[in-house]
Amino acid sequence: MLVDDETVLGISGYREVENCDGTYYLSWTYLDEKYRGQGLGKKMLGNVLDRLRELDARKIFVKVSDYQEDGISIYAAALSMYKSFGFEVEVVGEDFYDQGESQTILGLEFKPQSDEIVVADEKPVIRFNGLFEIAETDGAYTFEWIVEKSTGLFGKRSFSPEDLEVGIGSVKEQGGRKIFLTFPSNLVLIHRPLQAVGFKYVGQLRDYYEEGLHELHFSHDLEGVGELSE
Amino acid sequence: MLPVRDDNPQVDTPIATYVLIGLNVLAWFFLQGFGDEQTLRSSVQQFGLKPGELFSNEHYTGQWSELISSMFMHGSWMHIIGNMWFLWIFGDNIEDSMGSVRFVVFYLLSGLAAAAAQIVSDTSSMIPMVGASGAIGGVMGAYIVLYPKVKVHMLVFIMIIRVPAIAMLGYWMGVQLIGGVSSIGASGGGTAFWAHVGGFAAGAILVWFFKDEEMLLNHPYYGWKQRANPADIWQDPSNRQ
Repeated sequence: MLVDDETVLGISGYREVENCDGTYYLSWTYLDEKYRGQGLGKKMLGNVLDRLRELDARKIFVKVSDYQEDGISIYAAALSMYKSFGFEVEVVGEDFYDQGESQTILGLEFKPQSDEIVVADEKPVIRFNGLFEIAETDGAYTFEWIVEKSTGLFGKRSFSPEDLEVGIGSVKEQGGRKIFLTFPSNLVLIHRPLQAVGFKYVGQLRDYYEEGLHELHFSHDLEGVGELSE
Repeated sequence: MLPVRDDNPQVDTPIATYVLIGLNVLAWFFLQGFGDEQTLRSSVQQFGLKPGELFSNEHYTGQWSELISSMFMHGSWMHIIGNMWFLWIFGDNIEDSMGSVRFVVFYLLSGLAAAAAQIVSDTSSMIPMVGASGAIGGVMGAYIVLYPKVKVHMLVFIMIIRVPAIAMLGYWMGVQLIGGVSSIGASGGGTAFWAHVGGFAAGAILVWFFKDEEMLLNHPYYGWKQRANPADIWQDPSNRQ
């Protein structure tokens, strides 16, 4: 929080991502309109990053919308500020918050991450056990999933295209517009079923879970609107 | 020449392989008297497979169960140790390709096919056949089909050399075939060559129906050539946002 005497001028923060190795998300940074353009935002972000360095953070992510008001992108200043601190665009989810409003996720390495580290493949049984509309979005859904460690006595069965179709059907019934799914990059059984039902690869957050283990992003446009506008 | 280990990775705990080895050892201890000569001889006579008995009208009970029971009997310390050694090294990777329950069925079917081959080679024989060799032959047949190029570490005199599975098992198969042909017309005990060959062939065929492509996906030594990584489908522009 940035305070001048007793007036709150802006607010910023971070949260640690669970079950990851030193991965943090920055919360949205707000600065009162009156005080913008004075370098206060930079100062605030700099303080937060200093704090994260003290916490021995390894990688920092931040999400930015491209929402436009009267043809002006209101987060453009924030985006360029993050870039000035070394953040790089890693994933752009089209139509994430709403039709026409995308989500850009930027990442910043605090510790240099090697490209040569390869995390071993895993073939756990993955099952979907729920779905919900993603917070702050209008009509973007995701599935909850769980991992069953062993393939067991009979071997198999991770989720199939049929399982995905069931989830897609439910999202359509609830009026959903688009589905976003994320998975660790070392699960080899997910790819064919996702591709079979029409999911597209969006991108990856590099070294999200740990060095060499990325977070893959996939999306499925339920109405094909996105395809028309391309 | 003796295989010492292979380069194949272990994915799941091979429960069925352990259980099968356990059953063989228990049978050796409790039914075969730990190699005690008297008990050994009578157990082989009682539980061994005698083809002539199956097709005789003089016996009415028990003889068909010999098909299974003979699979868990052995003729000597060297016989059981050798068989269990091979099952230990190669069985786990076959179990990994199909799951434990299916592996047990596969193992028993291979053993039955081996027995069938031995019976066909001499339907009237009353020499009891014992041993897991036929079923383990099936495991080795499956191994060649699934992992022909994985390196097997072989002990040759005092040296360890690494050879592709296809070469090592091909050598084993060749020895069995030559032995089987040369034993035609001969009589008496010894190795049941046709059981080995029959089991091997059955395993090489059965594995096509038992293997699970999902469990073998991305297996580093599955098949003759390196398969494409499943994640590569996203390289196709039509699969990208």
